[in-house]
Amino acid sequence: MKQFNLPDLGEGLPDAEIVRWLVKEGDTVTVDQPMVEMETAKAVVEVPSPFAGRIAKLHGQEGDVINTGDLLVSFGDGAVAEDDSSEESASKESASAESSESEVSAETSSDDVVGDTFMLPDLGEGLPDAEIVRWLVKEGDTVTVDQPMVEMETAKAVVEVPSPFAAKISKLYGQAGDVINTGDPLVEFGGSGSGSKKAAPKKEAGEEKRADSGTVVGAVEVGNNVVAETTNSVVKALARKLKVDLTQVTGTGKDGAITQKDVREAAKNGTGATKAEAAPVAQQESGFDTSNPLAYKASPAVRALARKLGVDLGNCQASGRKGSITRDDVENASKSGSAPASSQSAQSSTSPTTSSTPSSTGGLPTLNVEVKPETVRGVRRAMAMGMAHSHSTVVPTTLVEDVDISAWPKGTDSLARYVRALVTAAKAVPAVNAWFDGEKFERLLHPNVNVGIAVDSGDGLYVPVVHNADRMSMTDVRARVQDLRQKIETKSLKQDDQQNATITLSNFGSIAGRYGTPVVSPPQVAILGTGRFRNELKLTDKGITNAKMLPLSLTFDHRACTGGEAARFLAAVMEDLQKAQ
Amino acid sequence: MAAITLIEAVNAAMAYELEHDQDVVLFGEDVGKNGGVFRATDGLQKKYGKERVIDTPLAESMIAGLAVGMAAQGMKPIAEMQFMGFIFPAVDQIFCHAARLRHRTRGRITQPMVIRAPYGGGIHAPEHHSESTEALFSHIPGLKVVIPSNPSRAYGLMLAAIRDPDPVIFLEPKRVYRIVKHEVEDNGEEYPLEACFVDREGSDITLISWGAMMHETLQAAEKLAAEGIDAEVIDVATVSPIDMDTILESVEKTGRACIIQEAPKSGSIGSEIAAEIAEKGVLNLLAPIGRVSGYDTVMPYYRLEKQYMPTVDRILDEVRTIMEYK
Repeated sequence: MKQFNLPDLGEGLPDAEIVRWLVKEGDTVTVDQPMVEMETAKAVVEVPSPFAGRIAKLHGQEGDVINTGDLLVSFGDGAVAEDDSSEESASKESASAESSESEVSAETSSDDVVGDTFMLPDLGEGLPDAEIVRWLVKEGDTVTVDQPMVEMETAKAVVEVPSPFAAKISKLYGQAGDVINTGDPLVEFGGSGSGSKKAAPKKEAGEEKRADSGTVVGAVEVGNNVVAETTNSVVKALARKLKVDLTQVTGTGKDGAITQKDVREAAKNGTGATKAEAAPVAQQESGFDTSNPLAYKASPAVRALARKLGVDLGNCQASGRKGSITRDDVENASKSGSAPASSQSAQSSTSPTTSSTPSSTGGLPTLNVEVKPETVRGVRRAMAMGMAHSHSTVVPTTLVEDVDISAWPKGTDSLARYVRALVTAAKAVPAVNAWFDGEKFERLLHPNVNVGIAVDSGDGLYVPVVHNADRMSMTDVRARVQDLRQKIETKSLKQDDQQNATITLSNFGSIAGRYGTPVVSPPQVAILGTGRFRNELKLTDKGITNAKMLPLSLTFDHRACTGGEAARFLAAVMEDLQKAQ
Repeated sequence: MAAITLIEAVNAAMAYELEHDQDVVLFGEDVGKNGGVFRATDGLQKKYGKERVIDTPLAESMIAGLAVGMAAQGMKPIAEMQFMGFIFPAVDQIFCHAARLRHRTRGRITQPMVIRAPYGGGIHAPEHHSESTEALFSHIPGLKVVIPSNPSRAYGLMLAAIRDPDPVIFLEPKRVYRIVKHEVEDNGEEYPLEACFVDREGSDITLISWGAMMHETLQAAEKLAAEGIDAEVIDVATVSPIDMDTILESVEKTGRACIIQEAPKSGSIGSEIAAEIAEKGVLNLLAPIGRVSGYDTVMPYYRLEKQYMPTVDRILDEVRTIMEYK
């Protein structure tokens, strides 16, 4: 008597439920004949018989849950591999008919079993032998049905030979490199799962069964999962082809589903025809949603240009074909200054994802009919976004101090001195001349000093950058600042001119203001504000003197710098500023 | 309604037409008594007789020529090439006659024939058995090239191919012949040719594939969903002529496209689809069009074929690259 235990039905599932027996006790089954439908968590699977023979007992009824590895079917005596010589001869014929394409078969799943010994099946079309490449199991292993046991190489291919049943392996015949003749013993099964032992291995030529797994060349992977067709996709495809609007079609299928037939009927009757050019995605009138780049039609080159010039596509005309934005549109938007949204990118590498248009929430209420809110665009909008981003991330702390600059000769360029002081202090305390990423908790201490200089303009705030200020003379710095101011006036400031600042200077004192709390622009960690000079009576060793005092306000991101670092930095700034030259 | 595999669906569709249309005949090497090397024609000769299900000699040019002659006389031949690698002797008949006869006779004689061939890799087969040469046939005006990706489509598209008045090259992805089953109602309902099937709707990227690679592509889409990338998946199905409207509509929605194919990259169906998207959909593209394909080498023997064929991981890598493009 042979026993058949429930194999793992595919995904390491612990058990399966019997849906329906396809055979009954006393039936005679053939190899691979489906015996039962089992439902796993994933699919309903037919379980085929590993043997040919008479079924003695079915273990379990419909609805029962069987654990993987538990007894499912007992076979009566006489369960042996079935013979089917007609099919064998058919495939042999095919081989002899076309020897150049003679096919290698891996359809070894269930045949060639005599008793509990598994004979090497014919792996090709009449090939006499095969060589063991590698054993995939060892003696004492318990295998499941279809589990590969060994890789065999024939003259044609390397083929995995699967186990015909679930059982314990008692003996392997041969080692890697050995050549086994077709029909000779390959694996002997014994122990639990394989019932009584049969007589000595014996095989009569030409009598082995070739189970029809449909593989003639190589090995076609076989699955028993039943998958549903996405019927909907077929109906939609047909509707598109026949230009039928599915919303106009009444479904006659199950649960009112639209069938292919319904679509064909509709096409024939002319009902539900799609209107020519039916409603392309409406996008123009609903305002600009800059968060969705697909709201605009633009070629990749135009998009790249817009990025380069810092132009927001939402601020561009769309004068091209099919409502697309052209290079000219982007350049015009850039020139009109309506949209160089770029001091933003200069200020932050991690651009804020906040909604960009206040009007999207309904806008400001109008106070009278003459004055209406204007959309804030370009530089001013970038300022708004940048400041909000800073406010939501940076932990700002401001130190204030006064420094005595009485020693400065007449005509000293104060801005150039401020830049030099920042450079000197940055060398002394690198932690303040740094970038900080609060999400990844990374900081980057810059070896060079790029000083951003806040410049007020009618359009909003610009922050042009004096790059590598640490390698420039004061004259160079002066010339560079002059150049940047010129560019702002002529609106020719490039994005490059505004990027990669490592620290910022805000000289609000040139207008008014003593101290301030300047806003750090991430990923930078500090900004120095310089206030308005004033004369002050100062008590010194020599008595009371009239001193020229410069107020300083240093804001730093306390996530990135300690108070000590900031204070030492400020002290270094003061030390440099006190010098006459 | 029985759950059947792709190969069983091919068999069922041919059986349905043999049953319902006396003009349909079927022939090829080993298709009769043997039932076909993959069992595609199993049992058909027994049921419909040696007059209609015919074993031929090993002569592909003759098989195709026979189909041309029969089709010209109003029959509906279904000819099998045992493997696509053996189709080349038949190319003269297919390209120079089957594809052109409608044109040559100003529409008086059409060629209602189907030439079936299993194709593609992944079954550890010897040389010549694993190539994906669909692009060769897609280049020839007058031919339709159809590739089913699952059992339902094999059934519906095969029926449509047999009923179509023009020659259809029907390529069966043999790696997935038996990989899954579908509940297919054997009711003779055909599927539309020249129409893509949108198997998964998504908003971030359009994945375009056909044949066996649809299985990897759909798995990749599921994994991408877990990463928060919502992929739309299109089964091209008829790879010539291609239903570009469906693909372009999808790319307009997603802004990104990736084509997945088993064939070598150069001069392929993937090249054609990419070119069409670039030509007509450029204004919607947010990133370069991606392609995951076989390599521009001879298809390797079975030991290396897994290294050659696109995997789910290769698809994921390409999609991530596209999604990260700025």
